[in-house]
Amino acid sequence: MQALFAWSSVALGGGSVMFVSLLLFRRIRLYRIEVERDQAEERLEPLALALVSGEETEAVDTRDAGVLAGLLSRYARQVTGDSRSALADYFEASGSVDRAMAALGDRHAWRRAAAADLLGAMGSEQAIGALRDALGDGSRDVRTAAARSLGRLRASAAVEDLVRVFVTADVAHGVAGEALLGLGSAALPALRALTHHGDPGLREAAVELLGLLGEPADSPLLVARLRDSAAEVRASAARALGRLAAEDAAAAVRGALDDRIPFVRAAAARALGEIGGRDAAPALLALARSDHYDAAQSAARALARVDPELLAAAGREEFGQHVLEAADRAAIRS
Amino acid sequence: MTLALQATAVVALLYFAALNAIYLVFTGIAWRGVTHHLRARAYSGEDEAFASPLTPPISILLPAYNEATGIVESIRSLLTLRYPEIEIVVVNDGSTDETMRTLVEAFDLVRIRKALRDAVPTKPLRSAYVSRRHPELLVLDKENGGKADALNMGLSAAQYPYVCAIDADTMLEEDALMRVAKPILDDPSVVAAAGGIVRIANGCRVDHGRVVEVGLPRSPLATLQVVEYFRAFLVGRMGWSRLRSLLIISGAFGLFRRSLVEAVGGWRTDTVGEDVELVVRLHRYLRDRGEEYRIEFVPDPVCWTEAPEDLRTLGGQRRRWQRGLAETLWRHRGLFMRPRYGVLGCFGFPYFVIFELCGPLIELVGFPVTIYAYATGRLSLPFLIGFFVVSLLLGVLLSVAALALEEFSFRRHSSTRDVVRLLVFSVAENVGYRQLNDVWRLLAFVDLARRRRTWGAQQRRGIGVRS
Amino acid sequence: MTEHGPLVLVADDDDDIRSLVIFRLERSGYRTVVARDGEEALALALERVPALAVLDVMMPKLDGYEVTRRLRSEDATRGMPVILLTARAQDADVARGFESGADDYIRKPFSPQELLARVQAILGRR
Repeated sequence: MQALFAWSSVALGGGSVMFVSLLLFRRIRLYRIEVERDQAEERLEPLALALVSGEETEAVDTRDAGVLAGLLSRYARQVTGDSRSALADYFEASGSVDRAMAALGDRHAWRRAAAADLLGAMGSEQAIGALRDALGDGSRDVRTAAARSLGRLRASAAVEDLVRVFVTADVAHGVAGEALLGLGSAALPALRALTHHGDPGLREAAVELLGLLGEPADSPLLVARLRDSAAEVRASAARALGRLAAEDAAAAVRGALDDRIPFVRAAAARALGEIGGRDAAPALLALARSDHYDAAQSAARALARVDPELLAAAGREEFGQHVLEAADRAAIRS
Repeated sequence: MTLALQATAVVALLYFAALNAIYLVFTGIAWRGVTHHLRARAYSGEDEAFASPLTPPISILLPAYNEATGIVESIRSLLTLRYPEIEIVVVNDGSTDETMRTLVEAFDLVRIRKALRDAVPTKPLRSAYVSRRHPELLVLDKENGGKADALNMGLSAAQYPYVCAIDADTMLEEDALMRVAKPILDDPSVVAAAGGIVRIANGCRVDHGRVVEVGLPRSPLATLQVVEYFRAFLVGRMGWSRLRSLLIISGAFGLFRRSLVEAVGGWRTDTVGEDVELVVRLHRYLRDRGEEYRIEFVPDPVCWTEAPEDLRTLGGQRRRWQRGLAETLWRHRGLFMRPRYGVLGCFGFPYFVIFELCGPLIELVGFPVTIYAYATGRLSLPFLIGFFVVSLLLGVLLSVAALALEEFSFRRHSSTRDVVRLLVFSVAENVGYRQLNDVWRLLAFVDLARRRRTWGAQQRRGIGVRS
Repeated sequence: MTEHGPLVLVADDDDDIRSLVIFRLERSGYRTVVARDGEEALALALERVPALAVLDVMMPKLDGYEVTRRLRSEDATRGMPVILLTARAQDADVARGFESGADDYIRKPFSPQELLARVQAILGRR
């Protein structure tokens, strides 16, 4: 027993000492590395900025190449347009893109993910194929990084893949959505087709994105979704029509104010506030007096945008707490 | 007598062995978790999330009681948070100082009539205000009812799908909301709530309600808490989160899906541990319904708070935490060892009961019992010394490991001198501070017993006392 | 670096963006004065009265909207053109930008060439 304790003490004492030494040693090493890197970056900054502007520069020795690449990829994340193309050319020419693509096959998931992310920053379209493959990687982090990079590369060829991972949640939801938004109008055909899909989750996602990316011509498609069998899709369609400010859909959205599901009514009310048009005012006022909180709040706020005079008048009568609140808030803004 | 003595000694030994084994495993789990998180952060797309129209808006709920001195600064720093869309719902819980007047002047508040949901009953609203200059700021003035009651009123007035409950003296980093919301952004249908790490602001330079330079407190008591928080937050909570059993999201900063909080009835006003209680209730509710969910812990530094620097206040705080924990565990004792509740029921819950609730008793009793056993010749000196040395060293190892984890990852403490100081205090934490904590936590049971005897007496507790 | 070009105030808390903007402007003949947060930006604007200000929106202490608003309320800087630089460019944000008195709104990630073109356009008009 005593021997056990003795040995345990030694082991633990040794363990603690080891940790402490590791701590201090690593801190000192990291500090030195950081100082060196900061100095190198300061020295290379003018060169890097020149490269960003597309100017020709002299070659850099291998020691500095790593620091320069790091510096440039930071800049690359901040810029678009000619600067980004200039940087993409540089990364391609210096072999950075190839090295990163090779790293997509690394054993460690985190290295693959870092490589996928870096490829997006570097801006080279050569990486698109490899990134699309990476969307099927076993690790969610890698898939997410690949999706993000595809968005930043505006890779229209990857539209279908991105929509798929968006709805299957194989990739972090926010990142997938952002990537699709980054694709812009290239994503529209696929999204339009998805609004007829059998799975309501996919329909809802497609409708939501259409609201953000769509064109006025998409209005009839979205109006059709106002009669979808799934409530989430109906609400999403109302939101999308509001985002598009689709005046031609105003009548249809007004119809959704009578939906039997409260959050659909709320979404329709909000959309009417964005679409505008005084025709909606009486229906909004009626909804603002109803008993469901979210629907009534949305309706009152929408009424403030659509017909402020009616709201002010209603606020002077006792038309319910939501109308009163909206009237008070409107009075402050004017 | 001998049997009882032996039994106690054995229990104490087993307790220490089990506790330290668990801590060691947790340290490993937390290490992996933090490393993974840090690597993932590089490509998590935080910048895009900030700019994205898909990022859900958040209602911040800020209960305030007698906070006239710091409330304006707090709110100003909230107004400059890096997050796309928020509203700030300040609930003045019947302050008896100049809080309301200060707010009205500082933010150009105008009275409005506010519509409230009737989801969770609260003490009545006296008046509501909106800021002319900052339309996202809403101030509710209500009758005093305690922090939970104030939060519930905020809940009734919040318009966005997520609510973030914070304390008036919490200082958030600029990206705090973005970071804590990230798990939700990534998996909106699954993640129900998220909490962050609370760091100690004593000794840090604060400007405009933000920590701009990290430093260590001068007060030894506060420095001990810094070390303690590394172990409790970085290792403890990270570990529990990875095991899907995070029971505690600090009241200082927590993000919740509003519909869920409403569904479970909001924060309970009859317990001091309303933050713990809510999280446990959420777990229970979601598991009862068999829904897939996660409650996540985000290890990035996100918020800072002032720690008590005197024994009296600190003791009061620890007693209150222990009381809250005990009340919550008792209320939800139905979770104990039920397979239906998975790791939470069969490991997390028992852990808290044994090591957090009963632990202080065992630790404090085990100490004199072992001494007595030695004094009466039943234990040899080498054994006694060995036992104490081993437990001390283990404790030190764990504290140092937690410190190392912080240093290897977030490195907020940038000077070597600070690191050395933290190391010294890591040792000191195990010699006296832990035992002191045990004493306070035992006294909490005395508090509980006393409260039951005075049942019915009005318990009016200001919010400002809690941190 | 020329000594005679118009003075432009560049305010952003991100080091890289500052470097990129300053480089582009100075390469094209402008002089620059630099701020790292809203308060510094405002102080410098009032003190040096630059010909134009390029302001990040999300800055510590005072955000870009607030700085713009205050510039518009001071006689010395009322007419100073302001270009806002921001990650977030939803309709509401753009509207807010123009409401506070900004002349132009550029989204991040940004094109340094385009920023330069807008600066030249604004200053060329005067």
